[in-house]
Amino acid sequence: MAEARKPVPVPSLESWPYWEALKAHRLMMPRCGACGHRWFPPSLLCPACNARDVTWAEVSGCGKVWSFVVMHRVYHPAFAAEVPYVVALIELAEGPRMISNVVGIPPDAVRCEMPVQVVFDDRDGATVPLFAPAGAAAGRIA
Amino acid sequence: MHPLRDKYAIVGTGKSRLGRVPDLSALGLLEDAMKNALDEAGLTNRDIDGIVCRGPDDIYAHHQEIAARLGINCAFSTSLDNGGASQILAVMLAVMAIEAGLATTVLCGYGRDSWSRTHRSGEGRMQQNLVPSEQRPREHGPEFGYFAAVATHALGARRHMFQYGTTREDFAAIAVAFREHARRNPEAVMREPLTREDYFAARLIADPFGLYDCSLVTDGAGAVIVTSAERARDLRARPVLIKGFASFNNTGGWYLEDHMVSTAAGESAERAFRMAGLGPADIDTAQIYDCFTYMVLTQLEDYGFCKKGEGGAFVRSGALALEGSLPTNTSGGQLSEAHVEGMLQIVEGVRQLQSVYPPERQVRNADVALVSGHGGNTVCHSSLILGRA
Repeated sequence: MAEARKPVPVPSLESWPYWEALKAHRLMMPRCGACGHRWFPPSLLCPACNARDVTWAEVSGCGKVWSFVVMHRVYHPAFAAEVPYVVALIELAEGPRMISNVVGIPPDAVRCEMPVQVVFDDRDGATVPLFAPAGAAAGRIA
Repeated sequence: MHPLRDKYAIVGTGKSRLGRVPDLSALGLLEDAMKNALDEAGLTNRDIDGIVCRGPDDIYAHHQEIAARLGINCAFSTSLDNGGASQILAVMLAVMAIEAGLATTVLCGYGRDSWSRTHRSGEGRMQQNLVPSEQRPREHGPEFGYFAAVATHALGARRHMFQYGTTREDFAAIAVAFREHARRNPEAVMREPLTREDYFAARLIADPFGLYDCSLVTDGAGAVIVTSAERARDLRARPVLIKGFASFNNTGGWYLEDHMVSTAAGESAERAFRMAGLGPADIDTAQIYDCFTYMVLTQLEDYGFCKKGEGGAFVRSGALALEGSLPTNTSGGQLSEAHVEGMLQIVEGVRQLQSVYPPERQVRNADVALVSGHGGNTVCHSSLILGRA
């Protein structure tokens, strides 16, 4: 039986620039050309002012853990070898919050408000943004 | 005084068999519950001219399917989609339709076959139980192993623990209190004793949630009939008055602002209390949407039964017990009776006010009941305040 692969994100018509930038290891967020609001996930209109003026701006990749859970139950065979693993809501320094994993640290050491930094996981033709404790080696994960 | 306060009533309630009911589909379960509600009210299909209902998301035109099975032509009918907030919203729509002259007697119901559909195959058990595959997220979630409602709600629980010092001891108190109620309810699926020690010994699902923080995966349905208070006086069942209702939805998103720790229940509660002319101190029993233990804790705070951040101390005080200051989820709730997406909470609120139960299961002197509904990616909320006629 073939080894189960982790799901590869399927971009939408609004999110494809985000995923394209990630392939180059750049974390880009939508930013409103009219009011400056940043948001996530990507959509056609600015959720703050509804302007049709989506621009894309790279963010620092620095953030903090807003909240997190430690997944023990296996819902997908590709994660069977990963449990327990951390799913977190990350608040980026620029404001938007996004779901990701916290890696490079034991699950029981993760805390709310812990500073983290993006790392890039290249996976079957896509790149997925994960987060590691700030100060750990940035860049591609092992 | 609000013009609709006490103007409408619930005149019949019904449940299907609950738990493992592999011989009935989601629609069959709802037929069973609706027929029981009609019988209790002393009504027939010919008396019904409105249907508002909901079932699993892969049953399209749900109200047409159920109306056809019951043989009802409707002046007003619709399916609705506001997650666990839908069932109270169905009662609200029924009132609005009658008030607008569109119908006179409206049947509301919800049925699901969650146990059967997740236990037909090993693959079924792996899936998030009710979301059709084509509607599951394909980005910003699955690539991180972020699946299932349990994780979404657990994020809120963790943040609440961080901000307010809430602990799993608090969640345990909720699970144990509701199980004690289920033990007195012959219809409840989970009637074995549950102790604090059992709670902590159980496997973790999405920490901070373990097995007993999660509501049940069950087959079941519930139904209620709404009509005017005036018409209700002539019917068989003891009517229960609709004193207030409201909804509020933090549809901007669960992840935004402080939505995870102060839910849409706060705004919904304020509006419903205003309509009813009542406050938290007037509530004799609460039936709170308990998809997960934490959601009860935060809603108790959001409704004003205690201050924000003090929900842990409140639930550990014994308040939720049948003899406590706020008997809550007196059927066992979705954590221990059965999970029918909030519909059974409405049924339980009505029946407590009708005083139909034996003493060991009956809230004494229950004049006013609060029912809450919550869901739709955890951002949608509805509130219903019922009163003894």
